[in-house]
Amino acid sequence: MAFIKKQQSSTETEDERQAPRDFEGLCEELNHADSQVRRWAVRDLVEMPNASSVLVDRLEHENNVSVRTGILNALAQLRDTVSLNGLIECLRSEDAALRNESIEILKELPDEVGAILENLLKDSDSDVRIFAVNILESLRHENVEKWLISVIEKDSHVNVCSTALDLLSEVGSEQAIPAIKKLKVRFPDEPYVCFSADLALKRIEEGSQ
Amino acid sequence: MKHILVIDDAATVRLYHRNILETAGYSVDEAINGIEALEKALVTSYDLYIVDVNMPKLDGYGFLKEFRRQEDVLQSPAIMVTTEAGNQDKILGYVSGANLYMTKPTKPNQLLSYVRLLLGEVA
Amino acid sequence: MPAINISDEDFLKFKEYFYRKTGMLFEDSKRYFVDKRLIDRIEATDSGNFRNYFNQLRFEVSGEELQQLVNVMTVNETYFFREEYQFKCLVNSMMDEVTRKKKDDSPIRIWSVPSASGEEPYSIAIYLLEYWSGIHRWDVEIMSSDIDTKIIAQARRGHYSTRSVMNLSKPILAKYFTPQAGGYQICEDLRQAVEFSRVNITNAVDVRNYRDIDVIFCRNLLIYFDDASRRQAAEMFFDAMKEGGFICLGHSESMSRISSLFRVRKFPDAIVYQKPWEA
Ligand SMILES: C[S@@+](CC[C@H](N)C(=O)[O-])C[C@H]1O[C@@H](n2cnc3c(N)ncnc32)[C@H](O)[C@@H]1O
Repeated sequence: MAFIKKQQSSTETEDERQAPRDFEGLCEELNHADSQVRRWAVRDLVEMPNASSVLVDRLEHENNVSVRTGILNALAQLRDTVSLNGLIECLRSEDAALRNESIEILKELPDEVGAILENLLKDSDSDVRIFAVNILESLRHENVEKWLISVIEKDSHVNVCSTALDLLSEVGSEQAIPAIKKLKVRFPDEPYVCFSADLALKRIEEGSQ
Repeated sequence: MKHILVIDDAATVRLYHRNILETAGYSVDEAINGIEALEKALVTSYDLYIVDVNMPKLDGYGFLKEFRRQEDVLQSPAIMVTTEAGNQDKILGYVSGANLYMTKPTKPNQLLSYVRLLLGEVA
Repeated sequence: MPAINISDEDFLKFKEYFYRKTGMLFEDSKRYFVDKRLIDRIEATDSGNFRNYFNQLRFEVSGEELQQLVNVMTVNETYFFREEYQFKCLVNSMMDEVTRKKKDDSPIRIWSVPSASGEEPYSIAIYLLEYWSGIHRWDVEIMSSDIDTKIIAQARRGHYSTRSVMNLSKPILAKYFTPQAGGYQICEDLRQAVEFSRVNITNAVDVRNYRDIDVIFCRNLLIYFDDASRRQAAEMFFDAMKEGGFICLGHSESMSRISSLFRVRKFPDAIVYQKPWEA
């Protein structure tokens, strides 16, 4: 026994792609017992029209992490309304891993998300608002600071405000100073808010010198 | 000196907890998510973990579940810190291996009393 | 002849294009490095200016000039027994776990990518021969790939500078190398032990044939990528690996910033990542 080199036959033969690669065949493979097969079905479905809705449906009961990641990536690639809504729905999931993974994916779609972000920031669920602020983090959008300021001025939930404040301490300018100062007054009994407000003010002041 | 790992994706939160804990005489390390936390926790034996729930790549539940499976590392206690305070979340946290549960934003006194409790430092 | 000038806009265009083709992203701090090499290629191809050269590059069917450019833009720096703790982990832990879980006696497949000039795959071979007794019972297939064709040719040749073998002990050096003008020649047995190939890891077609890998070494490549291409690379490796297979990254690279697909595994010599077993 020793070192050997690849036998030509060992590679190209076994293909994960078993069923016909048409839409129906692929949809069927999405329910295959083997997760590798499901992953490849997801990959090939991306090339097809109308793939978004079957992928979103699958996402709901897919519990293999690698297939799920594949679907999320595929939805990001498809970027249509159905996929975008599918990704947004994940923010409401009971499953923390799914929520966080969809946040990461949504961060990579600045244009699409930018258009609906204002609605997300008004969502009735405070956790969804926090996630919306998380997504803002990487959104190189001209309105980011404006949105953040309005969050810390108006949102009633302390954690939504704190999350926005964290981000303001990185991207905020002098414009944000009054709102940050007011926030300290709004939550006088929250040491964390005071701490991060002071930190943000210090950073902004240092940055503007 | 007791050694604590603070796991949170928000830099400000890590700094806040670090300040509180260091002022109280603990030494502190930080991790930005569950994977980095595992990488550190598997080579350094911390006395306590302070774990955020929502983090990219590997969340707090995932970290604890994976960490609690490890046989040859010191199974120190963990405090789960999160914005979610629903019962469902608490149950999930305990099932994953958290010892105590705290809601964000934390208050220094409460944090320190939990820390002392879990470290067995209560007089 | 007027000096060739690369404008900010040229740099941006080139950076975008090169990123899409290779996954490598040049920061503005690399501007000098990139400009110098671009100008060299513009001169070598007699294109006269950036615009002509860039058009040629994009529309050339053979892709030959792109390959030339890749060859000059890559950072190939490497040496024998670099980040040795991972090779120790390979022979002390990973190989035994891989063989324990194997259902048949098919070869164990190791993929070292990027190879650069070959020090890494040859180090793996040396380590297995020297420190892993299983080598007498198992077949091992070592594959190694790089995007840079010039460096692959060099790897196949197996001629090394004194600097490159600096970490090797005298006995190892004597056993596997012969001194030669300006350095050392690696022995024929080792040259035969590694299969080198040209692969761009961001190209789905290039990586299609890499399947059922037990151990991957991907060190000091992802640092040149941005987040999106890193994640893509991780996905690709995941598909290339067997369940329970291992992947080792470079010292300054961590999955914690790349992907959640893998489990963190602790062994006495190193922390590595593992493709989970299907539940
Ligand atoms: C610094 S070397 C690393 C060598 C070795 N793995 C080590 O750690 O010492 C980086 C190599 O990555 C190769 N490379 C860059 N982009 C690549 C790509 N997209 N696919 C494959 N190899 C690539 C370069 O040609 C270069 O040889």
